[in-house]
Amino acid sequence: MTSLENAPELPGRARRGRGSSKIRSGGVAPYLLISPAVLLVIGVLGVPVVELVVLSFQSWAKLNPFSNATSGSWTGFKNYTTQLTSGQFWTITLRTILLTAIMVAVSMLIGLLLALLMQRISAWARNIMTFGLILVWSIPTLVSTIVFGWMFNADFGVVNILLGMLPHDWFNSSVSGFGVIVGLVVWGAVPMITLMIYAGLTQVPKELTEAARVDGASTWQTFRNVVEPIIRPVVLIMTSLSVFWDFQVFTQIWVMLNNQPHEQFWTLGIWSYFEGIANYDYGTASTLATITMLILLVVTIPYLRQLIRIGDAK
Amino acid sequence: MSTDAFTPQRQAALRSEDPSAARAAAARRRARRPIGKYLLNTLAMLVTLFWIFPIYWMFLISVRPLTNAYSQHPSFLPKPFSLSNYSDVVNDPQFWNSLKNSAVVVFSAVVVAVVVGFLAAVAIARFRFRARRAMIVMVMIVQMIPLGSVIVPLYFIYTKIGLNENLLGLVIAYLALTLPFCVWTLRGFVAGVPVELEEAAMVDGCSRFGAFFRVILPLVVPGLVSTAIYTLIQGWNEFQLTNFMINQNDHFTVSLYLNNFLGVNRQIQYGDVMATAILMALPVVILFMLVQRKVASGLTAGAVKG
Repeated sequence: MTSLENAPELPGRARRGRGSSKIRSGGVAPYLLISPAVLLVIGVLGVPVVELVVLSFQSWAKLNPFSNATSGSWTGFKNYTTQLTSGQFWTITLRTILLTAIMVAVSMLIGLLLALLMQRISAWARNIMTFGLILVWSIPTLVSTIVFGWMFNADFGVVNILLGMLPHDWFNSSVSGFGVIVGLVVWGAVPMITLMIYAGLTQVPKELTEAARVDGASTWQTFRNVVEPIIRPVVLIMTSLSVFWDFQVFTQIWVMLNNQPHEQFWTLGIWSYFEGIANYDYGTASTLATITMLILLVVTIPYLRQLIRIGDAK
Repeated sequence: MSTDAFTPQRQAALRSEDPSAARAAAARRRARRPIGKYLLNTLAMLVTLFWIFPIYWMFLISVRPLTNAYSQHPSFLPKPFSLSNYSDVVNDPQFWNSLKNSAVVVFSAVVVAVVVGFLAAVAIARFRFRARRAMIVMVMIVQMIPLGSVIVPLYFIYTKIGLNENLLGLVIAYLALTLPFCVWTLRGFVAGVPVELEEAAMVDGCSRFGAFFRVILPLVVPGLVSTAIYTLIQGWNEFQLTNFMINQNDHFTVSLYLNNFLGVNRQIQYGDVMATAILMALPVVILFMLVQRKVASGLTAGAVKG
């Protein structure tokens, strides 16, 4: 939150700044307070992640899943070299990255534009818009996937009817199929992004935008130099969360394609799920998952640094 | 001064100071740019209509006889209206059983997430301790662990300790998935409560923990509500992990029930599927509407405030 720290006024800041010197150094109390959360997270996510990395160095391909074998055979980096040298791996990885980039860019852009629109409309219109967005936000992904699947149904889909192109199977080609999936993901992601950015916009001190205008700044200059620095933290957080969520889009693809997505619709997540479940090849599944985590980690290191700075501000 | 600067908030702020000035400003604005505002309002309404159309379509399919869903010349009105799809769902005991499972699991997860998350948030916001930065990093890193990746190993571990096919296992899993966000959001709220308030309470004879619970807790209620809602939505809608962990019909949650229903009835009973979907979304929508103001401000306060 460095930008706000540098903002000229906001008296509350200064008061809180003084308070921070009074933060206690603690003893065992903080550890006691935080241990339940830490134990839960380590137990459910930490241990599986370690197990995941271990599994990625093993071969499980030939084991019957219902046998009592407790481990696969150790194969060192073989799973990794197999994947990194296979064309299929690179195709699917690049597809996943491209898809994520499109989804995040489109949903953030629409979210930002709608938030700016919300700021400029009458109160009654804003209330109606908020209601609509929250309605969409609270629809479970599974439900919205089913609805979109039916709307884009080849023979009876309302979209085909409206476009007058009956019958047309959108999922015949991976481009139009992914088009529908991107539309579905963006549709579901925009409400939260819009409402969060709009709430961020309401925190922009009116005196600042006013002063900028008095000094002759254009609309764009005001946005770029006054508004943008203040909403940057929330935009940053929403972008990063969108990257995590969109990289791992699963339900939308899995359910849309009848729990049997064809290979041209595989992303890293879907592929890993397939290897783990359908083929009982836990080694390959874990390798793909580990690679996914590494990609996300690399992409989000700047985000992490920013968040540590926010957390440390206190 | 350009009238552009008078955003609605600004008008409201002015109104509280000097009503006549606000009215004058509003009048000037109306006089100078009436068409612009109408256009923006219209645009906003069109966007909203476009965005909720899929939900309206879902509603239409659910309240009309099935033959309408398979019509190639559909009307966009709920005629002929019938609730028979809903009665099909409501008369299925399996639906009520899965609803009960979801309610039990999600309610437990919400209660524990709020309590545990609050304690951790107090630790991070109020104490300087050696592992503090490591805690912040952990809270963040957890957000980037792909859920799909931990499913297989978690399944192995759950099978070993007998939590597989078990609702308690689901509660624990939902907790771990939502806690990081809860801790992070609540941290913002706790940090926003002036330390002086607590100290005053302690001077007046409160113990330190008494101060936490009597002073901080009531002040962070909006944060608690928004984390509770977040956990509720995540848990209620969780499908991927649950689909892996639960196989027996009598342990189904609503999302599994719906997916199973879809698998059996695809191309056959679309009205029933949509009715189930609406019934599944309904509790969340109602709750969300009830607390939406608190949630929107709560989520942002946690994310925006430093």
